[in-house]
Amino acid sequence: MDYKYIEQLLERYWECQTTLEEEAILRNFFRQADVPASLLRYRQLFNEEDKMADEHLSEDFADKMLRMIGEESTQPHSRGVKARRLTVVRRMRPFYRAAGLVAILLTIGNAAHQSFIDEEETTASTQMAETIPADSIEGIKAGSPDKQSAALAPQPLDTLDAFTR
Amino acid sequence: MDNVSFRTTVLPLSDRLFRLALRITMNRAEAQDVVQDTLLKVWEQRSQWEQINNLEAFAIATCRNRALDVLKRAGRNTKSLDEVDDVHSPMPNVQSSMETREEISLVRSLMDGLPEVQRTIMLLRDIEGKTYQEIAQALSISETQVKVYLHRARTKIKEKVKVKMKN
Repeated sequence: MDYKYIEQLLERYWECQTTLEEEAILRNFFRQADVPASLLRYRQLFNEEDKMADEHLSEDFADKMLRMIGEESTQPHSRGVKARRLTVVRRMRPFYRAAGLVAILLTIGNAAHQSFIDEEETTASTQMAETIPADSIEGIKAGSPDKQSAALAPQPLDTLDAFTR
Repeated sequence: MDNVSFRTTVLPLSDRLFRLALRITMNRAEAQDVVQDTLLKVWEQRSQWEQINNLEAFAIATCRNRALDVLKRAGRNTKSLDEVDDVHSPMPNVQSSMETREEISLVRSLMDGLPEVQRTIMLLRDIEGKTYQEIAQALSISETQVKVYLHRARTKIKEKVKVKMKN
């Protein structure tokens, strides 16, 4: 292959006599893998310039600049509200949550109420036990059923009078 | 200048300005700050966009000046336009950074070692594809001067590559 044209272009390139289009031809030539040995030493120059042309700012730079001057971002999804498709189950989720909360409150309320009633019953039984006479308890301890029933059963006043006579 | 807006006209210049600032400061974070300052400066001048003949050239000039200010503030001197002929003494900071980055290619290190104005012109022509007229406008020099600086830069690279390849 004849590389005379490329060599001529290269000579004109060093002398700053090439146009931008001719320089683009040179750049494309040196991008290919098959470069003759006589021109190989200049390949690194053009390849290095390609690499330099690939230097970029960070991706968020443009957004940052727009925010600094008070304009909206170039990426609307990064700042706006995202639309989502809602299923029936997902749509009803707040009601489920509310129902669950009510159920929990009712359970706690019932449990508190029940424990209050139990406490009242326990207090009443204790008070009743304190009002029973000591000898009746002795009777209970002695194991006499008659004495027990007699002691525990309410006595009419006239019956009591007959006994005392 | 019709239909000029920050989003459609100024913001698309960001990467180009970043590459320019990067070749001057040799530091990505500093280059990004320079681009940010440059774009804000251009934005502040929006009332005069109609009067500015070439907004891109204005942005490039602003970016270059900001990047050179960063170098000066950091005490990393760069060469003035009158001193650019010193072929064999690249900026000390560039040289030292080159030594620590051995993976950088021979050509990259040669380009980084060029005086700033040659490096900038080579970038604008060979990487950004600017015409001599556009470069002259951005750097406020004549087209002839642009060609002179570019010729020196290319010749230097060519000669050094030849020598290195022979060795």
